Amino acid sequence: MNAEKPELKKLFALSSEGRKYSFTLPLKNVIRIGKRDYNIELREDEKYGIHVLWKNRRYPVEIVRTKQNRYEILFNDISHIFTVETPFAMQRKKVLGSGKGRSERLVVKAPMPGKIIDVLVRENSQVLRGEALVILEAMKMQNEIQSIVNGTISRIGVKPGQNVMKDDILAEITVK
Amino acid sequence: MKKIKRILIANRGEIAIRIMRTAKTMGIKCVAVRTAVEPNAMYLSMADIIHDEDEDASEIPVFLDVEKLISIALETKCDAVHPGYGFLAENAYFADRCQVNGIIFIGPSHDAIYKMGNKTVARQIALRHKVPMAMGSPGSIADEEEALVHATRIGYPVIIKAASGGGGRGMRIVRHASEMEKMFTLASREAEKAFNDPSVFIEKYIENPKHIEFQILGDQHGNIIHLGERECSIQRKHQKLLEEAPSPALDTELRQKMGETAVEIARAVSYYSAGTVEFLLDSDKNFYFMEMNTRIQVEHPVTEMITGIDLIEQQILIAMGEKLKIRQEDVRLSGWAIECRINAEDVQAGFAPSPGRIEKISFPDEPGIRVDTGVRAGSSIVASYDSMIAKLIVTGKDRHEAIVNTKKALDKVWIKGTKTTLPFFRMLMRNHLFQEGTFTTAFIEKNLEKYYSHGEYEEMIAAWLATKLFVEENLEDKKTNISFDQGKEITPWLLRKRLTQF
Repeated sequence: MNAEKPELKKLFALSSEGRKYSFTLPLKNVIRIGKRDYNIELREDEKYGIHVLWKNRRYPVEIVRTKQNRYEILFNDISHIFTVETPFAMQRKKVLGSGKGRSERLVVKAPMPGKIIDVLVRENSQVLRGEALVILEAMKMQNEIQSIVNGTISRIGVKPGQNVMKDDILAEITVK
Repeated sequence: MKKIKRILIANRGEIAIRIMRTAKTMGIKCVAVRTAVEPNAMYLSMADIIHDEDEDASEIPVFLDVEKLISIALETKCDAVHPGYGFLAENAYFADRCQVNGIIFIGPSHDAIYKMGNKTVARQIALRHKVPMAMGSPGSIADEEEALVHATRIGYPVIIKAASGGGGRGMRIVRHASEMEKMFTLASREAEKAFNDPSVFIEKYIENPKHIEFQILGDQHGNIIHLGERECSIQRKHQKLLEEAPSPALDTELRQKMGETAVEIARAVSYYSAGTVEFLLDSDKNFYFMEMNTRIQVEHPVTEMITGIDLIEQQILIAMGEKLKIRQEDVRLSGWAIECRINAEDVQAGFAPSPGRIEKISFPDEPGIRVDTGVRAGSSIVASYDSMIAKLIVTGKDRHEAIVNTKKALDKVWIKGTKTTLPFFRMLMRNHLFQEGTFTTAFIEKNLEKYYSHGEYEEMIAAWLATKLFVEENLEDKKTNISFDQGKEITPWLLRKRLTQF
């Protein structure tokens, strides 16, 4: 991490769908829309837990998972995945060619115990965000477990008919 | 007439609470069953008496154990049992065993449950009463050859359904004769697995219908009325997500015609208690009898909200042998009600269950909003049961106002600890097909590109939060810049990170 470098003036948050947001350091508690700055406050209290105040409304916030510079932010009940990069790291990524060589792996785990009804992807197949990976029967329903990222299936951990426990690995995806 | 003094609630969750709420106002005591899976469940705090069911050795959950429930009812001196929905609510044997033991089963007769529970028997009864139905096989079919004969007669596409079925299981759509062999085997196998009965029958498959159901009330003296319809077309894999009453697809004339048909079906099995007759409605407004549910439905509140009738109270009064005091002409449908099923599901992962512990939960407390829930902060949504967190029921003077009010109410629902179906409903209230009311049961699978949507700048705010976390973790060395109510000098981010490190 090049955090101590004095020239660090900016950070980029890259969404899993490829959108880029840039923020000037030191990070202020404002979000700029057009030419106006809107105050944003991160709070925690007994009644609401961690939340954000923005434009006179309160929104629930949760971190679902973090890994190195990768963050999953649950904001208003919807999850967003970002990697936060320094300008230096962004430059290096470009040189190495769109992040190849330091590709990230996402492990897809069973959200609950159940039975695998079907496996809909193969190893090395390309998947898009939202594409079904396996069908897991649990809680009276057949549930599609979908990919939350675009990527390539690097490993499949289950077979049709297999019973799984919560957090058993269903598949591994190399994130694009 | 036999007065009911004490009811065993043979169920859990929100419906157990719903039943106890009415029972209390009627001066009836309630017995609830504590299970090892949910020893601190919210429904237990509503009960007058709690029966501890701690025998973990049992193979089946207590709410599915007929003999165990009977013995609990006898032991706790209950004179009646309310089965709620799911579990044994539509089990004719359970209703019969209650009666044999002198316990009132708050529901219809076991005979009505049996007849309507078996779809081929129900079809034959409907046929005899000239109720409009999709063309189909007169009874169960033996093999795929017989299936092919019927399919050729009826015309494709056809649907194979489990005779003892329900809930979308054991159903297969067949569009070409070449698929029949495979689909017949699949449906039959699935039916055997799910309902212990491999028999299936065939019906013409109605493309893109609306799912419209009628609420029935009947007493033990032959009086049967209907309380109007519920629109339940917003479904995913035959699981209802949102229901409303009335339906935007019906006018007074069609409502009367379908209502009369529903009453006729109920009459054919001498139905008493609350029940629901389900129809499919095609794009030409032809309706077809699908099945009758012989229990209180999850979505009963929307009917209660527009009729002002307490369906649980009616069930209890009817079970005691009272005559219906409401006549058909007394039933007035006023206003509009929408029910959103807030489930612990991840809409971003195709509605996959997202069980977990509810950390924070609060709902708007305003006139015109009703919340039926069985969980509170600290409760867990466990994998052994369904994924429901709450039913949010919102009313308005008309459909437009009900949608506007629902939109506002959804923004005031606060649930932390698990992902929920809230983003789906927030999107739905803004969808023009939904607003028009022309959607069908295919809506979610065919008309939606995405199951959720978020506000314009929400992603940007999330990006800011990710950046903030990065800054705090990497650049600030635990420097705090947020002050807290309790004077904690630590950011929630870092706190969370430390907690998860243990």
